[in-house]
Amino acid sequence: MNTMTAPDFETSIAPIPASQMKLEVKNLDFFYGKTQSLKSISLGFARNQVTALIGPSGCGKSTLLRTLNRMYALYPGQRAEGEILMDGENILAPRMDLAKLRSRIGMVFQKPTPFPMSIYDNVAFGVRLYEKLSKPDMDARVEESLRRAALWDEVKDKLKESGLGLSGGQQQRLCVARGVAVRPEVLLLDEPTSALDPISSARLEETVSQLKVDHTIIIVTHNLGQAARISDYTGFMYLGEMVEFGPTDQVFTRPSTRRTSDYITGRFG
Amino acid sequence: MSLSTKGTGARIARRRAADLVFTGFCVTVTVVALTALAAILWSLLTKGLGGLNLEVFTKSTPAPGSAGGLANALVGSIMMCGLAMVIANVIGVLAGTWLAEYAGKSRYGAVVRFLNDVLLSAPSILVGLFVYEMLVAPFHGFSGFAGAVALSLLAVPVITRTTEDVLVLQPATLREAGVALGAPLSFIIRTVLWRSARSGMLTGGLLAFARISGETAPLLFTALNNQFFSLDLTHPTANLPVVIFQFALSAYDDWRRLAWAGALIIAAAVLGVTVLARTIAKEQRRS
Amino acid sequence: MSAAVDHVRASSRRSRPRGALVAQVFEGLCFSAATALLVTLGGLIVSLFIGGWPAIQKAGLSFFTTSNWNPVTDVYGAAGPIVGTLVTSALALVFSLPIAGGVAFFLTELCPAPLRRPIGTAVELLAGIPSIVYGMWGLFVFAPLFSRYVHMPLMMKAAPGSLLEKLVAGVPNGTGILSASIILAIMILPFMAATLRELLQTVPAAVRESAYGLGATTAEVVMSVTLPYVRAGAIGAVMLGLGRALGETMAVTFIIGNAHGLPDSIFASGSTIASTIANEFTEATSAEHTSALVALGLVLFVITFAVLALARLMLGRAEQRL
Repeated sequence: MNTMTAPDFETSIAPIPASQMKLEVKNLDFFYGKTQSLKSISLGFARNQVTALIGPSGCGKSTLLRTLNRMYALYPGQRAEGEILMDGENILAPRMDLAKLRSRIGMVFQKPTPFPMSIYDNVAFGVRLYEKLSKPDMDARVEESLRRAALWDEVKDKLKESGLGLSGGQQQRLCVARGVAVRPEVLLLDEPTSALDPISSARLEETVSQLKVDHTIIIVTHNLGQAARISDYTGFMYLGEMVEFGPTDQVFTRPSTRRTSDYITGRFG
Repeated sequence: MSLSTKGTGARIARRRAADLVFTGFCVTVTVVALTALAAILWSLLTKGLGGLNLEVFTKSTPAPGSAGGLANALVGSIMMCGLAMVIANVIGVLAGTWLAEYAGKSRYGAVVRFLNDVLLSAPSILVGLFVYEMLVAPFHGFSGFAGAVALSLLAVPVITRTTEDVLVLQPATLREAGVALGAPLSFIIRTVLWRSARSGMLTGGLLAFARISGETAPLLFTALNNQFFSLDLTHPTANLPVVIFQFALSAYDDWRRLAWAGALIIAAAVLGVTVLARTIAKEQRRS
Repeated sequence: MSAAVDHVRASSRRSRPRGALVAQVFEGLCFSAATALLVTLGGLIVSLFIGGWPAIQKAGLSFFTTSNWNPVTDVYGAAGPIVGTLVTSALALVFSLPIAGGVAFFLTELCPAPLRRPIGTAVELLAGIPSIVYGMWGLFVFAPLFSRYVHMPLMMKAAPGSLLEKLVAGVPNGTGILSASIILAIMILPFMAATLRELLQTVPAAVRESAYGLGATTAEVVMSVTLPYVRAGAIGAVMLGLGRALGETMAVTFIIGNAHGLPDSIFASGSTIASTIANEFTEATSAEHTSALVALGLVLFVITFAVLALARLMLGRAEQRL
């Protein structure tokens, strides 16, 4: 018995007022070679809010995430068409400086990937690319980033030790610290807790909620509970299309499309 | 259906006999092979130790009939192998990096990979001929440099291969994580990927060194040999393999003793380096 | 820290990290290194060709078909070394392949677990022993034994004028084509055994276990399941071993006897391309002599290249399978 009556819209995208919009995606198509995996995606990401992208495997949520920092540019044969505007500037423009773009839009990956260097150097790595900080300033930046990733207390005495020696959950928080150290405007999280145990996952979720004060956060997750817990907006994708987008509590309790309600109630996916 | 109806007793006996023959063959053959190899090592050890003394490391190669050592040959070999490894590492690491990171699935990449394998297995004497034509004949003189270059040509394909293999093994997310921070790929290769592939590359380098330190043929017409002690690589340079070759085929007993001592030194060096390389590889796997 | 963080920091940021120029230079260097490899091999082929062409041109087809090798009169027929190379390598393969196969099967199927690592490691380490060691052992230890226990008894048993006498003709000092083939076989043995063993280890445990589970004996599993599974790779490995044997200089030069003509029997002295070049190059008397030796090198390269290309093809096919 389905108590959620879903008016049978095909798609429903709630608009974000322009003053609150940090990133705007307009008619985005994405191709792996000849296969089209994103179809005409259009939506907005609100500034300093957490937006979750959910959907079954293969729906294109990670693909969408990876177009936002043009990570696909590493691989020939992958291309994006359309527009993505950040503060009005199209980041898909050919002349866009990718390195600078990625200093403003950071990413944390599914699998923790600490670099083979000390914890301190891991966090400082990105900062050193862009800023020339004196030692005390750098120390301060490293400590600030590790605090914001909720890792400082655990590693403050072993900053010189290798990042590879940390536990899985700690490594992932190290990657978060590394990502926020460069003070990006946007932070992309690609299923950041799927490789972690429940306790570490919970800690990371807390961290994400605190980070949104300073960053616009977009998180891909296949954990519906997680999306419901920490996000302000949720976008549901299916087979390369954005099916429904809107404030999280609305999408979860009063979805506007049948497909969304079927997914959320566990009918498929 | 009871088990006894599955085939006749004769059939099973035949299969068992065949299995016994096969097993017996494998065991026998292994024993034979290990015995032969042990015999070789035994000869090497006894004859080599017989000729080994402190003078071997302190005196240079003697004229026939007088006492002496292998000091100049040892130093010459170390110099040439060292120089060869420097050259080979520079070219090999860069080439291997290109194959792993920039070549992708291109035709050109496939061609380079194939030709690298050809060079890897090419007869070393032909490499010696090539270097002779390039670096000896035009300059009218044999030299340690030419020898080092010939050795480096044998080491480069090994290092290229191991570098490419170990870089390809690095997870894609490591690359992406670095690039996501806003650094160009070349920077990430140098600061992150090479570092994380460090021990694999070291192993490859050691294996390449082990290989070239035992090579004789390419030195025969490049570095030639030098009876005296010299640190000058622009002229014929003494080296262990060629000295062993000359002394072993000679008719003089003390030369032959020195040849065996030299052979023992080379074999021990190669084995030592190989064991070191494998130990490093095992440590890396464990971590 | 909950205060809003200042994102825009144009003044303290560099405009770009390390510069796109450095990135391009680095990629260019890597590409140059890879191309240098290509150029080197190309140069090798070209220089062999340029150096050897005069001799081939002068002698024509007789370079390959006649066996009169005479530096004094500048007549060069290379059939002796060419045949010697092919025969010693083929024989070495014939001798070592069954043994290497047996060792590989022993290590993967029959060896008791505690012995597996030491024996396997021993075999791999022995593959690295420089070939000059094998050459010396061959000349000083093997040859006298071979002469005393094999060659001389055979010669004494052979009745004058018999077929056997013809087959064992040759100076009984233990050197010759057969001795060289045996030493060569021993030399490529560890390499082949290690390679074949690695290959056998790629057979998934599930495949082997299902065969054993059906009640097959070890011999049957190996012959009917494991071997066919790795067939292409095995052929490739064999070709690699052949390639090694073809190019081997030191293991052979010591013990092949270094006679130029076509050997009459496998006990007779002969020569290979590599041993001829090694022995004569530094004392080559004339430009024509040198050219003839380089031409020999070219022939060796062509043979080896063909074998290697075939090996690659077979191994490539094996990889596709997996």
